[in-house]
Amino acid sequence: MPPSGLPTPLLELREVTVPGRAADRLAGVSLQLRSGERVALLGASGAGKSTLLAVANGLVAPASGAVLWEGAPPARSRRLRQRQRARIGTLWQDLRLIEELTVQQNLNAARLAEWGWPKALLNLLQPLDTAANSAVLREVDLDPALLPQSVTALSGGQRQRLAIARLLRQQPTLLLADEPLAHLDPRLAAELLALLLRQATAPRALLLSLHRPDLVGGFDRVLALRAGRLVLDTPPAAVDPALIQALYGAGPSPWPDEPR
Amino acid sequence: MTPVVTAPRPGHCPWPFQPPAAPLLMLLPALVLLPLAALLPGLVHGGGWELIGQFAAAALTPSLDPVLLGAAFTGLGVTVGIALLGWALSLALGLVGGVLSSRTIWRTLLAEAWPAELIRRFLAVPRSIHELLWGLLFLQLVGLQPAVAVLAIAIPYAALVARVVGDLLDALPTAPLDALRNAGAGAPGALLTALGPALLPGAFSYGGYRLECALRSATLLGVFGLGGLGTELRLTLQSLQFHELWTGLWLLLAVMLLLEGSLRLLRRRWGMPGRFGLDARGVGRSGRELLLALLALLPVLVLVARALGVNPASLLVWQALPPFLPNWPVVLALPWGSMVGTTVLLTLLAAALAVGGAPLLLLFVAPWPWGRLLLQGLWALGRLWPPPLTALLLLFVLKPGLVTAALALAFHNLGVLGRLLLEAADSAAEGPAAGGAELALRCAGCGPRLALLYGRFSGLARSYLAYGAYRADVILRETVVVGLVGAAGLGTLLLEALSSFAVDQLLALVAVYAALTLVGEDLSDRARRRLLAS
Repeated sequence: MPPSGLPTPLLELREVTVPGRAADRLAGVSLQLRSGERVALLGASGAGKSTLLAVANGLVAPASGAVLWEGAPPARSRRLRQRQRARIGTLWQDLRLIEELTVQQNLNAARLAEWGWPKALLNLLQPLDTAANSAVLREVDLDPALLPQSVTALSGGQRQRLAIARLLRQQPTLLLADEPLAHLDPRLAAELLALLLRQATAPRALLLSLHRPDLVGGFDRVLALRAGRLVLDTPPAAVDPALIQALYGAGPSPWPDEPR
Repeated sequence: MTPVVTAPRPGHCPWPFQPPAAPLLMLLPALVLLPLAALLPGLVHGGGWELIGQFAAAALTPSLDPVLLGAAFTGLGVTVGIALLGWALSLALGLVGGVLSSRTIWRTLLAEAWPAELIRRFLAVPRSIHELLWGLLFLQLVGLQPAVAVLAIAIPYAALVARVVGDLLDALPTAPLDALRNAGAGAPGALLTALGPALLPGAFSYGGYRLECALRSATLLGVFGLGGLGTELRLTLQSLQFHELWTGLWLLLAVMLLLEGSLRLLRRRWGMPGRFGLDARGVGRSGRELLLALLALLPVLVLVARALGVNPASLLVWQALPPFLPNWPVVLALPWGSMVGTTVLLTLLAAALAVGGAPLLLLFVAPWPWGRLLLQGLWALGRLWPPPLTALLLLFVLKPGLVTAALALAFHNLGVLGRLLLEAADSAAEGPAAGGAELALRCAGCGPRLALLYGRFSGLARSYLAYGAYRADVILRETVVVGLVGAAGLGTLLLEALSSFAVDQLLALVAVYAALTLVGEDLSDRARRRLLAS
């Protein structure tokens, strides 16, 4: 427990810097995400949202600064680090389902970090953990009769829901989502956002990057990046048209320390 | 939204096991390792472990004796020259043969496709006979000369190129051709315009691959005394001069890797499909550059032919042959059943080991940062090292027989399959969704091996196995080359019949061998189509 008496953050970035091209870089980003928090991440294309999420899930190591998962830095031992990463679930923009496998096998793939080889191989031969998989499908409003279906047979909306179900099946505490609503029609986007917000209750926390500022209403906090720098950490009510213009506009930055 | 939820059907799969999922299919052939592990202890005679150790240790200290280096360079020059000439001749003949065996071409010219069918059947015969057999046949007919090895490579390779070019031509969309014909264009002009540019990428990508094969074939022919570095390799191995052996091997390895790397670069530069994508279509970006490169090759070929002393006219001067006195009852009394059975078993065993071994080894080394590099080295040696020499090496510690021969064939083909698998896996990791499902699994805490199995092998399984089916067909042809370790298949008797001038047996064996490889080719084609269609 930190001195403030608050619970240990599920994710903490301290002065994280990732050098690179404009669209890939982060410059001294610090943030904390605690259990039960639902945080939206805004920013124009190339502001560094995907890089921040990649740092948060361990895909990209920062050049300087620190990443802490539940108060601990990434473990040196591969096995321990795998355990840490198993508690971080990522919802990818392109979903990254395994097209050649069934819905059930895809859901079980989320448990591979916990499973040994025998069970992982058996999953490719026979249906495993049907009850648990049915339960997560119901949580995302999908019919468990889809379990033996091939992923390729699913509609676009069903695939999105399956990706969320796989995320839940992993049983992570930290949920990261990289623009999960991009390219979706407004109705489906609203449905999936409601679903994600519903799932992100304590002990879980959610960090979701968005390209639509009009959807931040259901979140607890809104963060915003501009040119790799975290320029905003505010309640959603404070997001007004002027702020949006400042974030996405091409004019001079109202945030004085932003690099030119 | 109202959720559509129905209760799960308990035990909806009537049989506890469903068909193995894609990634598991890739590993199934490796199950052959289980019976093999049981058989191997009985086959080890244990006499030559020290020799194997000396052989491995000599890799680090190849002989740098100037005389030996000079001889090795000369041998290498001959091998590369033979490969280049055999390949060029096969490409020229194969392109003509491919055009002649295309149904589309004949339909456009004559409105009939039967000549294409006829030519295809005719070309199946030279294709079914391994280049080593062609080489040994010509050796008996005209004696030892460089032209023998060149022709031995050119004949079966030309038939193989013809088949692939014919298939590529027939698979091209005919709409542009029809449009030109309807606009009044003459048949030859319309064919050239509509099909020529579209054919180039696939044909030349395959042509480049045949050059890699030609280098391996030229080395193999050398092992059987047809000239070049292969002869040196065999002699140094048989006389246990391992330091001298490695001098030649390292040189050959350098040339092979240089060739493979250059061809890979050219394929990328000219926008040609990779090996796994032989059915991919697309027009090459730099057709003119490619044609200029081919034109520049012509004077090189002339110079190489002169340097090697290749004289095509000498092929017409045949040696005196013993009189043909067939003894058919003896031929009929040969153990055909067991010979065919052993050949098929040898093929299946070697194919299963090679097809299953490559993904298994890739999984094994997945967590190690230097694992892929290690495998690349091992597989390069496998491709380079002719199977008869592997067999000879294995004989230091194993008894001769089917398993030893299968291991030798498997090691060579593992080199080919492993490299392709690695290339395909690496190319799947490029592009905007780099790493895709594999990376997603790693981010979710999955270990590197399971992430590779689930995330990468799933997508590769069908095309890999389809290539494996083709490779099994190649292995069937190659069984003849391990005949010298007494594998007891058709290959052993073929080599015996050749060396004892038993022409009647030779004819019968070649006929059966050709029939067997044609059946194998058909089965492999069917398996490949099924795998790629599902």
